[in-house]
Amino acid sequence: MTSFLSKFKATPGASNPGVSTPSKSKKDVEPEPEVTPLVKMLQHAGPIRNDGSDKFFGLENFGNTCYCNSIMQALYYSGPFREHVVRYPPHSPLDTPNGHPVIVTPIRAPVPNGAAVSPTKAKGLSTAESMKRRAAINSGQPVPAQPGTRPEDKPDSPEYKKKHAMAAGPILEMTYENASSYGMEESTFTALKDIFMALIANSSRTGVLSPQRFLEIFKRDNEMFRTSMHQDAHEFYGLVLNAVISNVEANSQRLKELEPPRNEDGLAQSMKAAVKSAATAMGLASGTRSPGTGWVHDIFEGVLTSETKCLTCETASQRDETFLDLSIDLEQHSSVTSCLQKFSAEEMLCERNKFHCDNCGGLQEAEKRMKIKRLPKILTLHLKRFKYSDDMTRLQKLFHRVVYPYHLRMFNTTDDAEDPDRLYELYAVVVHIGQNAYHGHYVSIIKTQDRGWLLFDDEMVEPVDKHYVRNFFGDRPGQACAYVLFYQETTVEAMRKEQEAEGLAEVALASQEADIALGKPQPNGTYPASVSKPAPVPTPPPDEHKEFVSLDHAVSSPLPMSPHTIPRPIQTSHTSTSYVPALDPAKSRKEDKEREKKEQKEADKARKIAEKEKAKADEQKRKDAIQARKEEVKAAEAEVKRVMAASKQSAAEEEEKRKRETSSTSTSETGKENGHPEKEKGFGIGSLSRSHKGSKSMSRKSFGFLGGKNGDKVPMPSDDSHTAVEGDSGPQTPEKHAKSTKDRFSFSLGRKKSNLIGSS
Amino acid sequence: MAGTYILKEDLHLATPPPHPSEAPVQNPNPLATTPQPATGGTKLSLLSLSSRSSPPLLYKSETNRSTRSNLNTSIQEHPSEGRSSGDQVPPSSEGGGTSITGSARPALSIGSAPAFGEGNSSLTATGKDVGKRRKPKNNIAKSNSSFISRCIVHENLGKRLQDRPSDGYFAFANINRAFQWLDLASSQKAEHLTKVLFTKGHCLCHDINQVTKSQSHIDLIMGFSTGEIIWFEPISQKYTRLNKNGIINTTPVSEIRWIPGSENLFLAAHMDGSLVVYDKEKDDAAFLPEDHTANSNGTSETSNGEGEHAAKLHIDKSVHSKNQKFNPISFWKLSNQRINAFAFSPDNRHIAVVSEDGTLRIIDYLKEQFVLLMPKKTTTANAFRLLDIYSSYYGGFLCVCWSPDGKYVLTGGQDDLVSIWSVAEATIVARCQGHQSWVTAVCFDPWRCDDRNYRFGTVGEDCRLLLWDFSVGMLHRPKASSVRQRGSISSRFANPLQRAETSNTTASRLRSNSSLSTDADVEHTIEHAVEPRATTAMLPPVMSKVVDPDPLCWLEFTEESIITSCKSGHIRTWNRPRDGSNESELTSPTT
Repeated sequence: MTSFLSKFKATPGASNPGVSTPSKSKKDVEPEPEVTPLVKMLQHAGPIRNDGSDKFFGLENFGNTCYCNSIMQALYYSGPFREHVVRYPPHSPLDTPNGHPVIVTPIRAPVPNGAAVSPTKAKGLSTAESMKRRAAINSGQPVPAQPGTRPEDKPDSPEYKKKHAMAAGPILEMTYENASSYGMEESTFTALKDIFMALIANSSRTGVLSPQRFLEIFKRDNEMFRTSMHQDAHEFYGLVLNAVISNVEANSQRLKELEPPRNEDGLAQSMKAAVKSAATAMGLASGTRSPGTGWVHDIFEGVLTSETKCLTCETASQRDETFLDLSIDLEQHSSVTSCLQKFSAEEMLCERNKFHCDNCGGLQEAEKRMKIKRLPKILTLHLKRFKYSDDMTRLQKLFHRVVYPYHLRMFNTTDDAEDPDRLYELYAVVVHIGQNAYHGHYVSIIKTQDRGWLLFDDEMVEPVDKHYVRNFFGDRPGQACAYVLFYQETTVEAMRKEQEAEGLAEVALASQEADIALGKPQPNGTYPASVSKPAPVPTPPPDEHKEFVSLDHAVSSPLPMSPHTIPRPIQTSHTSTSYVPALDPAKSRKEDKEREKKEQKEADKARKIAEKEKAKADEQKRKDAIQARKEEVKAAEAEVKRVMAASKQSAAEEEEKRKRETSSTSTSETGKENGHPEKEKGFGIGSLSRSHKGSKSMSRKSFGFLGGKNGDKVPMPSDDSHTAVEGDSGPQTPEKHAKSTKDRFSFSLGRKKSNLIGSS
Repeated sequence: MAGTYILKEDLHLATPPPHPSEAPVQNPNPLATTPQPATGGTKLSLLSLSSRSSPPLLYKSETNRSTRSNLNTSIQEHPSEGRSSGDQVPPSSEGGGTSITGSARPALSIGSAPAFGEGNSSLTATGKDVGKRRKPKNNIAKSNSSFISRCIVHENLGKRLQDRPSDGYFAFANINRAFQWLDLASSQKAEHLTKVLFTKGHCLCHDINQVTKSQSHIDLIMGFSTGEIIWFEPISQKYTRLNKNGIINTTPVSEIRWIPGSENLFLAAHMDGSLVVYDKEKDDAAFLPEDHTANSNGTSETSNGEGEHAAKLHIDKSVHSKNQKFNPISFWKLSNQRINAFAFSPDNRHIAVVSEDGTLRIIDYLKEQFVLLMPKKTTTANAFRLLDIYSSYYGGFLCVCWSPDGKYVLTGGQDDLVSIWSVAEATIVARCQGHQSWVTAVCFDPWRCDDRNYRFGTVGEDCRLLLWDFSVGMLHRPKASSVRQRGSISSRFANPLQRAETSNTTASRLRSNSSLSTDADVEHTIEHAVEPRATTAMLPPVMSKVVDPDPLCWLEFTEESIITSCKSGHIRTWNRPRDGSNESELTSPTT
């Protein structure tokens, strides 16, 4: 048994190729490549927190899905958002005895050379099936990582790093859905929640997640994202948030009406609910929101007041509108602050854009001003880098230099705004790299809770210097510009504390470097220049292979936590030789050496004690782990059985559905068309328009992924769990449903439209 | 009557190609995570060898004053304030006004302020042959240093130096890895007198010693992106390297200034938050912080005292240390955040330091002396006084300067604002809104300042030059929009933020002092909370104009003109308004 465990221990970077193929993977994975900066940074990390704030997973790219990956990461690292996604719904009907549904995330074996995955790994549910589906999504895409002379062979190229990340794994295969265990219909929200839950539950700190199911669902619901073209990340952001809002609202409405359980016309009810919540979304009655669903609003929503003054009768009128983000026009050599001021600058409504004055009773010239009445917790700023060319045929990219500070306050608040001096800190930047709107790549740079800034480039995650964030003002070569900025509220105290920590991190880093140079032992007892395996993982071995453990499991089970509470203060405290990430290894400050020596001594002493404790604890832990492991395997097997049964069933449903779909194509088509023009309106001014976009050129990564993949051709088992529940609700169901969601979209987009007017 | 500044000159310094040893990057990876070397836009050090062109001193000559007032009326934004030549105000009782006189004069001791490090005999040892200027050791033209790529001297350097008018300006300017010496008074000013190319290091800042300057001697110091410092004497073309290979500090030098009144000492701000005093003639020695007791104390305090972050200030080496054989003379660690700029007060008692974390610190850097005079043998170095800490509205501060009378400090930063701080009242006076991007340089126009009215100029990343006027009377007017607040200063304690500030005050004391046995000199550092927007006066500019296609990074006023420089090496000279001029380049709005 010990050898069994040591096998897991021996695979650093948490590469976990599966129990049955350890020797094979060792052969395939090229001589364990140098430790990535991320792994290096996490070397001396303490125990994994269970809120998911110290998970650093890349997201797999399925061919131009970087728009999704970049936004997804930004959303994940928004603490309040992640928390709420995980917590909602509060009580799902299928709760397991200990309160939460068990999550089983299949792990794909690493694909070192693009070779087919060994089918032996099929244990973790339907890997073979998932690969098929992947192939469907990826059809026409070059197989990831083919051997040969390619850019990915250069060690510092992003391609190489991504390949390395895939090889290191673990790759979480998000091919399943857990919606039913949340007591919800499968939706964008549940797929997002699946991803968050899987990340949090996984025992590894790093790896790659393959957001396959999420994209399938998102593409199902959003027609214009079904191509493999380059898409707009900001648009994606808006759609996802709106989907989350409507999913959550629909669900709680449904729950309300389910109280006296009546399954029969639940659909009609939810329709009504949708209409109602759409009305709420319009701001007609914000107080009537069903409880527990307002959290998306609480986090992202702000209120704009547009003050319009009729120049004929001098009557001023005010109108409040909610917003989820602000789209701001850019000017060359300006700052975000200044662009926000322009957003609120006075605007004349005249000529063709006159204002209908209720007082005068006609179209009049008027003055309009947009100010912020309520500041959101998370302020999302969309920098309008894509502008129509003069002949309105193409969207061109503006390479204006627009500087953005790490901290921000809003000048354009109304006089009666609450806390008008609210301080925001920049926590995520979504960067667009490319010549225009039809090509390019998105990455995000995100500030994590205590690991500084990280660059997320699809599968790759890499720690970066704080100053790196400033490389995307728009004036540097390489066409990389900040496109969406995420600011979150903070306080002066928190800011100062963090600044202090930043400096200390640098000091610690210097001391750590010095230690390594001197060959001093690191806190976990290994020597830094260790001979064989360079990445001693701080997490206890049992954690390593707990791929079937759910989130709460990690909490309730005594094994991983208790032994680590002892060494932790030493490892995390900044004062003693805190082993904080090495960002710039070349720095070592002489003036700190003296101090360090002292600290070193103290730390050493404490470390020795901690190590003894740890050894004891480890023993206990190991025993526990074996026990736990047995249980998990059992549970997992049961789960697999269950899922297999479910998938069989869903396959049948799928068959049925496909039949139905062919008959209802015409109706659903009209449904889409109903939605579409409104959508166009919503994005009309200065924003991206799909109709222009899809037609032009193909983007960087899409090779022959033309019309081949449409949502209806991709097999979607249990695509509409809704129909599964009410199998005989008739062919109209999907159409109606689609329509209702579309309607809701158009509301929120309408809101956006007014923003655009205000800013243009 | 229009006050019109006319573009007189546009000098463009060519950006040198990368050094041959550095392979040009063909297809830069925009996401490359390798740290970029620090670089900076073109900045100038102006030098006038005649006393004529030094800034006017307050309460000086009547004639000077009246001409000034005439000019003032042309650009006056607020004529109703009765700002006329007859508006004579009795000199203020504060000492700042009188001591300023020294700053322009080559004098060893300025005003009433004692010289830095006075009383330390080990420091003064070098000054035995006063009068004879010492030159650096190495010839820059014949240097085979790996740091210096090459030096190009104008063929007629000697002749040009002889023929030039004595009252013209020399300019020293950095661009990329090049450094140029220009003669702004010459007709062929585009031709540099001397041009030095460095291999890797970019000169980020430089300063000229006003005490030692003469026709035959110029002491120039330069701070580099590699942390190194060069003392350069351009006339003899000799140089000395200091902090060689970063032996004292490895981080880039963001600002460097001669200590006013000192022949040898200068202060350099390194980007890791240290302020280091060097002696141009001393050799480097590997630096270990002295005074270990204070240091270890300091560390333990960091561990438990979170509220003390701002008051943290290490003196790793004091000017009063007995060990003054080698550089550094003193070494102060201000914070862990990058220092972006600092400025000496006109009375040479204080420095104002601004950092990337958005703090402005006023430091009484001479205070060490008083500790020395006190009978205390424990530690000598711990009374370096941090007086006040102010915070930006948000974002980092990028530039700072003092008003000519020392009463006000201006800062500019990443909140697009210029903030006016009153030193005496220890509060913000006004925020100046008008820039459309970060403010990179602030400067008072001493020719347009008197004891009640101030004119200053600012430049920013928005390529704009803005001119501002404020007068003492105006500043105390309550802000129009906030009726509930009576005045911007008198009602300070009316809001919760301010209350928070007062409670802060008691909590944060000077940290290094707390380790001392006596309470006698325990000083209180006052950390000032951010004033809310609603209670702070907002000042609009009197003029705003895009003056360059590239972001600006420096400006200075001379008697005849405003000089600006930008990131890409354009140096533009704007002549001051003259009667009867019609062409307009920069026009103040009150035409």
